[in-house]
Amino acid sequence: MDELLEQFLIEAPELVQQASDDLLALEDDPVNALRVDSAFRAVHTLKGSVALFDFAPMARALHAAESLLDDVRAGRLADYRPAIGALLECIGACDQWVKSIAAIGSLPIDAETEARRLTNALTSLSRSGAAADVPSLATNWASSVFSRDEVINATEGGRAITAIRYAPNPDCFFQGDDPLAWVRRIPELVALRIDGLRPWATESFDPYSCNLLIYALSTAPAADIRELFRMVGDQAVIVDATSSDEARPAASDAGDTVASRILRVDSGQIDALVDLVGEMIVAKNGIAHLAAQMGAVTPQLARQLATKQAEMDRLVGDMHRALMNVRMVPLARTFRRLPRLIRDLALKLGKDVVFEMRGEDVEADKAIVDGLFDPLLHVLRNAVDHGIELPETRQRSGKPPNGRVLLEAERRRDQILISVVDDGGGINVARIRQAAKAAGEVNGEIDALDDAAAIDLIFSPGLSTASAVTEISGRGVGMDVARTAIEALGGRITISNAAEGGAVARIALPQAVVMTTVMTVAVGEEHFGVPIDAVEETVRVPTARIKQIRTGSAFVLRDRTIPFVRLCDLLKLPNAVHLGDDAKVLITSVGEQSVGVEVSGFAERIDVLLRPMSGLLAGMPGMLGTALLGDGRVLVVLDLPELLA
Amino acid sequence: MSVVLIADVISLRGHCGLEDVEPLLKIIQEEPQRVLDLSQTSHLHASLVQILLVFKVALTGHPGDEFLRTWLVPALQSGRELERS
Repeated sequence: MDELLEQFLIEAPELVQQASDDLLALEDDPVNALRVDSAFRAVHTLKGSVALFDFAPMARALHAAESLLDDVRAGRLADYRPAIGALLECIGACDQWVKSIAAIGSLPIDAETEARRLTNALTSLSRSGAAADVPSLATNWASSVFSRDEVINATEGGRAITAIRYAPNPDCFFQGDDPLAWVRRIPELVALRIDGLRPWATESFDPYSCNLLIYALSTAPAADIRELFRMVGDQAVIVDATSSDEARPAASDAGDTVASRILRVDSGQIDALVDLVGEMIVAKNGIAHLAAQMGAVTPQLARQLATKQAEMDRLVGDMHRALMNVRMVPLARTFRRLPRLIRDLALKLGKDVVFEMRGEDVEADKAIVDGLFDPLLHVLRNAVDHGIELPETRQRSGKPPNGRVLLEAERRRDQILISVVDDGGGINVARIRQAAKAAGEVNGEIDALDDAAAIDLIFSPGLSTASAVTEISGRGVGMDVARTAIEALGGRITISNAAEGGAVARIALPQAVVMTTVMTVAVGEEHFGVPIDAVEETVRVPTARIKQIRTGSAFVLRDRTIPFVRLCDLLKLPNAVHLGDDAKVLITSVGEQSVGVEVSGFAERIDVLLRPMSGLLAGMPGMLGTALLGDGRVLVVLDLPELLA
Repeated sequence: MSVVLIADVISLRGHCGLEDVEPLLKIIQEEPQRVLDLSQTSHLHASLVQILLVFKVALTGHPGDEFLRTWLVPALQSGRELERS
């Protein structure tokens, strides 16, 4: 992709986000001058970036937004609310457009009509609408030539700014003119651009014909510069650009100083480093393997090697942790995208919702923070859609008309705990039971569930797709999707009714992607990994004690009857396990139930970097991922609970 | 003033004017990969700047002259950045 476009796609979402944050804050506090300035700058910069590409509809909409924001800033509007609403809508559209540009390289086909609608809406609200549509010449070329930073630097201290466009005559050299000598004499020069007036051709280049186009900015008064260029006045346009938007001093932004100390690194580079450390872990494990082999030949040397290996083990571990810390990003990255979406949804549903967030500064691994967005949005949508009642309903039941949704995050040890609390009607357990029965669940089983377990049915896919559920007050639309996504991140999600009314969704997530300790097990000639935390214990069971019970088998271990399955059957592998006197059994648990899984051998425990299955294998059930072993083999790590489910 | 070639580095010395167009153009056209040293340049005539732009001559050296150092060299280089992207 074009480097410039790449940069745009990094910058644009941030600017959209910034504008969106500021506008949302302005909804509550329309006189907050800092926010107005910040929103203005974001929109202005975005407009500038957009102008570099062929995204004209977007540029027009942003231009109208900028003008309207200018009115807000100048205090020209009697009522701010409609303006902020229209601006948010415009920013929302820009968000979509940027996504479209990222995906297909262009604006969506309806962008033209959408932009026209937005532009009309914005301009009709703007007092200076007419004037804003016909920007002065100065604004046009000066803003397209010079970057925002140059202009901001130039206007520091509120100085005036003069823009100069100087296209010397082609024959000026023969007249003894040196255009650069004039430029050199411009007082208080703050920016300079030199370019060709027409494209140059190297072959037919005439060095004595001037084809230069010079742009400059100065903080000296326009009159002084006109005086200087008096001799070539017909070749230069000199304007006072202070009246244009570019000349406004920017409010000081504390963020700038922070940003300058931060190194921006493409996350792909970090991922590459993580992969490298992963390889190092493999190499390190390989040395352990080597040391063990060496032990038979030269025990002395083997011990020394083992000591070194232990040292490396520690260092590589430290390195991995340090690297993982680099990947830590604040939850704000995901959280700050939510308020606008919640606001839009509430508006659409005719509900009045106050959305509050806490703990955005809690940090977690980038993959987790990014992966959290979809499930979190699902949960919040449900809270607004099905939890919060309509204002009239709320008032009838003596509640304030505006509902509250609180999203809160906190860190507890290595976990991130996130809760979504609403003060809506709560979950109607009876209706969930009804819906579950309607969806074909067995009546008796449903009745036997306690309330917590019944609420948990929300997460079952069969229930959520039942259309009956979406029409009743219960939640459950697509909540199975949210649970699947959270679990894929290594987390858990539960929902319950709060004692004080309303519902609470709780999400617990690991803070970081961690090294997994796996136990390798053999099935015939093949080896598989099982995460050590899925293994309760390993036992040898005399084959004689494994009893057939109807279609299955089981054995008794310390007075508990434990179902017995064979890993080769689970994996649909040829029955390679030789049943000796004792069966080697790995005890794991599926929910509350312990299950014995027979393998043909246990091997070592190792720390691996689990890589999720990708590509064609991504959808394979029962597989957690793969890991590279010390001897170069690839180990498939099994998801026993899923295999046994 | 004078155009000097040392190895593959072209040095422009002093106040360089229209009279330096021919020698500079010749040296650059001979070998377009040559680098231009501006450390001893006090002024560049616009016609010379134009040559640097057309042939995208690589620049080296820190000009002692403030205008060249602060404004001209960055302006020449920023034009190049834009072309590349």
